[in-house]
Amino acid sequence: MYKYITRRLIRALITLILFQTILFMLIQALPRDYASLVRISPVHRDAIRAMLGLDQPVWKQYLKWIGRFLGGDLGFSFAYRTVPVSRILTTRAPRTLLLFLPAAMGGFALGLWLGKHIAWRRGSWLELGATLGGTALYTSFAPWLAFVMINVFALSLGWAPPENVVDPNVWIWQQVIPETVIIQLLQTMVLVSLLFLVLWRVTRTAVGHRTHVRLAGGGLILGLVILVWLLSGWIRLALDILHHMVLPLTTLMLLSFGETMLLMRTTMVDVLGRDHVLTARAKGIPDGAVRDRHVARLALLPVLTHFIVHLPFVIIGSFVVERVFSWRGMGQALFDAADMYDLPVLMGILSVTGVVILFAHLVLDILNAWLDPRVRDDQLQAMAG
Amino acid sequence: MNHDNDMPLSGHNEKYLLRKQVPHVYCKRPLLAWRRDWRLFIRDPVGLLGLGLIAIFALMGLTHSFLLSTVWDRTTYHPMVGFDYDNTPHPNKPSWKHPLGTDSMGRDVLSQLLYSSRTSFGVGLTAGIVATTLAAAVGVLSVYYGGKVDTLFMVVADAFVLMPPQVVLLVVGLLIDMDWLRVGLVYGVFAGLGTLALIAKSHALSIRVKPYIQAARVAGGGDWHIIRTHFLPNMLSLIIVNMMFTVTGSVLIEALLSFFGRTRIRMSWGTMIWFTQSIFRLSPFGEQWHVILPPAFAIMLFCGAFYMVGRALDSVVNPRLAQR
Repeated sequence: MYKYITRRLIRALITLILFQTILFMLIQALPRDYASLVRISPVHRDAIRAMLGLDQPVWKQYLKWIGRFLGGDLGFSFAYRTVPVSRILTTRAPRTLLLFLPAAMGGFALGLWLGKHIAWRRGSWLELGATLGGTALYTSFAPWLAFVMINVFALSLGWAPPENVVDPNVWIWQQVIPETVIIQLLQTMVLVSLLFLVLWRVTRTAVGHRTHVRLAGGGLILGLVILVWLLSGWIRLALDILHHMVLPLTTLMLLSFGETMLLMRTTMVDVLGRDHVLTARAKGIPDGAVRDRHVARLALLPVLTHFIVHLPFVIIGSFVVERVFSWRGMGQALFDAADMYDLPVLMGILSVTGVVILFAHLVLDILNAWLDPRVRDDQLQAMAG
Repeated sequence: MNHDNDMPLSGHNEKYLLRKQVPHVYCKRPLLAWRRDWRLFIRDPVGLLGLGLIAIFALMGLTHSFLLSTVWDRTTYHPMVGFDYDNTPHPNKPSWKHPLGTDSMGRDVLSQLLYSSRTSFGVGLTAGIVATTLAAAVGVLSVYYGGKVDTLFMVVADAFVLMPPQVVLLVVGLLIDMDWLRVGLVYGVFAGLGTLALIAKSHALSIRVKPYIQAARVAGGGDWHIIRTHFLPNMLSLIIVNMMFTVTGSVLIEALLSFFGRTRIRMSWGTMIWFTQSIFRLSPFGEQWHVILPPAFAIMLFCGAFYMVGRALDSVVNPRLAQR
């Protein structure tokens, strides 16, 4: 196992270097170089070119580029002079994460749940309707869906604010900045999901009343969290942010759940035909238990793999949704940077996206190897192949 | 060397043919295999709906040039430079003369809508063909030759996986204004060398261990012969499935880029929405619903059609998902 992980990590490092090489080539292929993107006088331009080392030979620039990337240095922004790109991204990241994480998880969970149920009622009108609806939402034009949401739920019904992260009227005399509260919210979110996972794992082997124990435990965790937030005195600020989050989050979830749902359905149908399902049914195990424990669990891993592979779709979706809802996160930074030809920020966003995807793949591979011994052992692989 | 003997592929055994999944090994008689796949495919209403929609969009593209050369007057109905001098001021509500009204520049919306389906087909098919060709080449070559070729291709594929075509196009497309051909090409290259190459490779791996490859090699078949007559025909169905998904993705991202006004594409559904939206920023629907809604639904239906065909085809030809 450790040998496999080491090998995988070395491969990840090589991948990362090659990834940066391709990015470097991409920049070299652009019609204008770094310095000519800034609108300044020729004298300044030459000075900047010398400062950035653009007058040096290409191989020197390349070595410098790779070295700086591996050192975690993404360079300086052109638009906001002397501000490092990494700082721009780290200030923007919490907002994007606050939107992206629940949307990705929620969309995935919703897709799993719906896919499970429509696969179980195969061939019904419900299935056809859910398939068409899921496809329509998945392929709908993201900005347009966002406009529909804004027009219906924000402007006509007035249930949620149409744009921005916070309401200035609520925050005007507060001593904290939104980032602090957002980071606290993120931490709470991660903590609560971890606690739920632990609860689920601990009660799995419990006999009898499992549902009741889980419900009570879940209620306890949620109650505790709400109590802590009530006592912290930031509850109004947190609620304000959550209120602004409703519409973008819903839009993003609607955009991303269809793919998971349809794939879960097909995979479930595949598993349904296997022999162990027939055995389970013949033994008289209740339908719900067969569905959840004998079919859905087997279907989970391929669907998860597919979800990780298609993560970029959710990332793009969140960038666009951020833009439409004026949610000032990394997506907004991307569009701002493009407006001002801020190349270092753009390349920084590309690099960060790449690293996130690499990390997701790494976790997935290690998880796969842990669950499936055939993956980590070459000999077993040869036998299976 | 006939491995299909156990398959009841003759016509009078149709009932059996439809109900039972036959093993996914066909190197010979590809026509019969295609016919079987086709029969399984048309049982699925979703796939048929998608196919019908694609046909409608293709007809739309063809109808436009026909209408423009016969019924429609070029000065009034041209999608880019047309102007209706009779019914000013613009935009006009839908009427008999303009079934979908006119936009604020006095151009006929229906004409734009029909014309734009060509752009979408152009982008989508370019991306699809480039991506699947590259993916198939990388997959087959790395599996067939193995060793260093395999390592090289896989390292490159790993790196390209980190650069999903959507993200790259969004960043590069915001920097450089691209025409539809370049959008398609960039999407195709980045999709084909990345995720799709890995998918194609795993499929090619499952073909390599099939007995007919050994047989062909023993019989003295050359490299190119084996690749051409055994690998590629067997991978074709999977290639087509992935082409459908590539079309969906590339058309969506093209619409996004056009919507943000960052392409040199003169007319597409995204451009139509962007144009109206940039002028009537505050009321995207009120006055302008007849300009905004048709392209938005067209994007959804176009991408949805290719996606549905891909999904339906996937459940037929993907050995893991094949219906039992």
